[in-house]
Amino acid sequence: MGWQTWGLKKSPWVYHVNVGACNNCDIEVLELLTPRYDVERLGIVLVGSPRHADALLVTGICTRQAEPRLRTVYEQTAKPCVVFCIGVCACTGGIFRHAYGFARPVDEVIREADPNAIIAYVPGCPPKPEAMIAGAAAALATL
Amino acid sequence: MSELKDLTGAAVQSPVLSRVVTALGGLVLEVEEQNPQRGWVRVDPARVRESARILFGEQRARLATVSGLEVRDGIDILYHWALDADGYIVTVKALAARPSLAIDSVGQDLPACNWIEREMHDLLGAEFRGHPDMRRLLLADDWPEGVHPLRRGFQVPKVDATGRRETAAWAGAPDADAKARRFSAPKPGKPGRTLINIGPFHPLQEEAEFFQLYCEGETVVDMDVRLSYNHRGIEELSTRMTWDQVPFLVERVCGICSASHPWAYIRAVESIGDIHAPPRAEYLRTIVAELERLHSHMLWVGLAGHFLGYNTVWMWAWKYREPVMDILEVITGSRIHYANNRIGGVRRDVPPDLYPEIRKAVDSLKKPLEMLTNAVLDDPVLHARLKGVGVLTKEDALAWGVTGPTARGSGLAIDVRRDHPHGAYGEVDWQVITQPAGDVFAKAVVRCLECFEAIKIIEQCLDRIPEGPIAAEVSHIPPGEGCGNYEAPRGETFHYVRSDGGAGPVRHKIRAPSYVNIPSFRASCIGQHIADVSIILASVDPCYSCTERLARAYDAETRKPRYDFNDLVRMSQERTRRLRKQV
Repeated sequence: MGWQTWGLKKSPWVYHVNVGACNNCDIEVLELLTPRYDVERLGIVLVGSPRHADALLVTGICTRQAEPRLRTVYEQTAKPCVVFCIGVCACTGGIFRHAYGFARPVDEVIREADPNAIIAYVPGCPPKPEAMIAGAAAALATL
Repeated sequence: MSELKDLTGAAVQSPVLSRVVTALGGLVLEVEEQNPQRGWVRVDPARVRESARILFGEQRARLATVSGLEVRDGIDILYHWALDADGYIVTVKALAARPSLAIDSVGQDLPACNWIEREMHDLLGAEFRGHPDMRRLLLADDWPEGVHPLRRGFQVPKVDATGRRETAAWAGAPDADAKARRFSAPKPGKPGRTLINIGPFHPLQEEAEFFQLYCEGETVVDMDVRLSYNHRGIEELSTRMTWDQVPFLVERVCGICSASHPWAYIRAVESIGDIHAPPRAEYLRTIVAELERLHSHMLWVGLAGHFLGYNTVWMWAWKYREPVMDILEVITGSRIHYANNRIGGVRRDVPPDLYPEIRKAVDSLKKPLEMLTNAVLDDPVLHARLKGVGVLTKEDALAWGVTGPTARGSGLAIDVRRDHPHGAYGEVDWQVITQPAGDVFAKAVVRCLECFEAIKIIEQCLDRIPEGPIAAEVSHIPPGEGCGNYEAPRGETFHYVRSDGGAGPVRHKIRAPSYVNIPSFRASCIGQHIADVSIILASVDPCYSCTERLARAYDAETRKPRYDFNDLVRMSQERTRRLRKQV
């Protein structure tokens, strides 16, 4: 394990990207920071720029307008970067998979930018905060 | 004067509809009375501006929204006017006839109509003569010109091997001017004028937003917004679903309005089928919707605190919000998407042994809410920071057609729950909170005080909830059209549904409250300091998830970055700190 991976596992800094969500996963992501779940005790910190991020929390279906922006955000992150698809929309398109606004699944956009990207899926509509923490723990354990 | 007749030859019963039709006079071609709260009037398409002037200017009606619908002869444009004082919704129809599909723009007279005409231009291809700004609003930049998703015959393209929806096969060749007609080209800056971009990663129900502020020094002189980042195409998707599936879709319009959107949709459908939910169902709907209002308002108080540098308020407000989320999970099975409402009633009953638990949860909120409210009302720094900032005058509020706490903070006493009675709201005692000032402070006070009203409503509902069935039997939805609205935490959500007697809606228009509240930024932000903009933008509560946005300020001359979003929040927080020392 290199020092970068060690640092990532010790205290993952996350950046949250909404690419066409209904806001629920986003509220639950913010919920993680507030007193009941308080993920800062686990070293997880939400940061304001993708350049500072070790992980992206992607929510939503990836709309046509957001698709190129998602790729830009991913390219700006420091590697290794874990991409979390939060919620069923980001995992598969969910209830919106047949909508005309849906460009393509989040994981394919990320893989096109980086074939070796580390992608974790946290399904649910929305996933409970506990599920997000469990997903983060599982993903970090694989590194 | 002879008696007013409706389409079917029956006399018009409603005095409100008679009054409106008389005022419109010679413009009227047809009248249709649906029920005591809904009427439809067809007017001469050449005189649609005159109809808007009469309704807005003389009848004091509020333009709830406009929807378009493709019919044989062209596109029917439906202007939904809410007469809040009478609890009446009158829809004015006008036909934009083929082949030009053009009609006079109402948006040139009435700001409230500006965006919606742009939207109909995008989605239906209708033309609006004289519209001041016909740029693309909702569709993505790479969407092919001339393809309108709400027209008959539109098909979502198949997915190719890479998972991408292939657009090459679509009709409508890309044209050279298309790019120029879209957004993004910054207006030429005067020397010393700075362009500040806020967005685009800024989530907001259907509309993620990308603001551009034009600043001179620290003062905002103009602003613009680009939507589409969150445009999923729910209205089109809805027409491919069945009546009972749509509530699950519309609760995903916006996560914090997931009790409100289904209720508005269901009110529309119930008005088509003349369906009446049993009283117990109306009470259960009311309880869940008010719990949602509580959690939404507390969420806003927390985020507003964060914007001003009071992170303690953020953490406290969200901590005290947790009992509400727990009780929602106990009642409906989910913290957020409740899947509780259905046409004709609700899906799940609340057993009486849960009542004490609900009571306990809302009771536990009273003390923290009082503390938070006093923190807002008594803090001299907050007074200095929020009073007189981002004022939306009553006149502007009317012209932009804003709703909810944004309107009530500007002294407009409108509230769908009172004005268009439904649910259990007519049977419990509560008040519509208004504040005259129109500034950010007034909107904060309205939201804080509304939390107490929500608690009052929930407690009374628990006292009075009748026994009985929770859903009416619904066999089918007859052909027809209906409007439904509900007072979501952010304001009125408005749904228009049309049925052809089939398995699902043939047209479903959704207008979320932020859609009318956001454009009013043009009235409230211009002339303000940059440091105040983040809280003014937040003051209408456009479903902010505040911390994660790409925001940068560029120098208009050199195009070099100057501030990013964190700098803006920091500037806002520093200003609070400075004031704290002075006060």
